[in-house]
Amino acid sequence: MQRALNLGLPALAVLTVAVGGYVGLAVAPPDRDMNDVARIMYVHVPAAWMSLMAFMVTLVASIVYLMREKTKADAVAEASAEVGVFFGFLLVVLGSVWARPTWGVWWTWDPRLTTVTVTLLAFCGYLALRRFVEDAERRATWAAVAAIVAAAGVPLIWFSVQWWGGMHQLQSTPETVARPMATALRINAFGFLFFYLWFLRLRYQIALRRQAADLAEPPPKGGAP
Amino acid sequence: MTGTIAGGWEFIWAAYIITWLALAGYAASLFWRGKEP
Repeated sequence: MQRALNLGLPALAVLTVAVGGYVGLAVAPPDRDMNDVARIMYVHVPAAWMSLMAFMVTLVASIVYLMREKTKADAVAEASAEVGVFFGFLLVVLGSVWARPTWGVWWTWDPRLTTVTVTLLAFCGYLALRRFVEDAERRATWAAVAAIVAAAGVPLIWFSVQWWGGMHQLQSTPETVARPMATALRINAFGFLFFYLWFLRLRYQIALRRQAADLAEPPPKGGAP
Repeated sequence: MTGTIAGGWEFIWAAYIITWLALAGYAASLFWRGKEP
C-alpha cells in the first residue's frame, strides 16, 4: 500500500496534469472575449481551489487538535498549511500573468486579489509562528488558534466578487462554458488534487518526524560511556 | 469587456511553464527535506 502510494500518486498526478495541459492548450476552444489567453484558467483556477481546500483542511485539523489534542491532527494542519501557501503563491503568480493581457496590469488591489493576499500572508504568519515557538504543546495550540483566525479569509475570498465587485470575473459554471473547457478544467483540477495529496503526504511525514525529534530526550552530556 | 484579446501565447506558455516548474520544484524540495536526518 505504502509503495503503491509512493509511486502511484506522483505518477497519477504527473499523467493527469500532462493530459490536462494537452486538452487545455490544444483541444479546448478559445474564449469568446479573452481568446486563447483564457487557457491560463486551466491552471490558475485549480491552483486556487487547492489553496483554499488546503486552508480548510488546516482549519478542520486545527479544530480537531484543540478538541482532542491529537498530535497527528497538528501535523496534518502544519502540512496542509504549507502546501496551501505553495498553491496560493502559484495562484497569485498565474493570476498576475493572466491579468497583464486581460486587464492591462500585472497587479491591482481588486477585492479578490486583496483578500487572497491577506489570507496568504496570514498563513505565512501561521508557518512563521510554528518556527518561533519552541515548546511543542504550546506551539500546536497557538498555531491552531492562528489557523482558525487565518482561515476566516477563505469565505471572504470566495464571496469577494459577489459582495464587493471589482475587476475579477465571477466564478464560471459548467453551464456557462463550452464542454471541452469544463473538461480541461476538470482534468487539471483532478491533477492538482493528486499533487495536493502527494505533497500533503510528503509534508505530513516531515512534520511527524519533527514531532518525534521534539519528544526525543536530549543526548546525555559527556558523550558515550 | 470590449473587443477580443489577440495573441497572448507568450503569457499562456509562461503560465504553464511556471506551473510545471513550481510543481517540480516543490516536489523536489519536499523529497530532499524528507531525506534530511
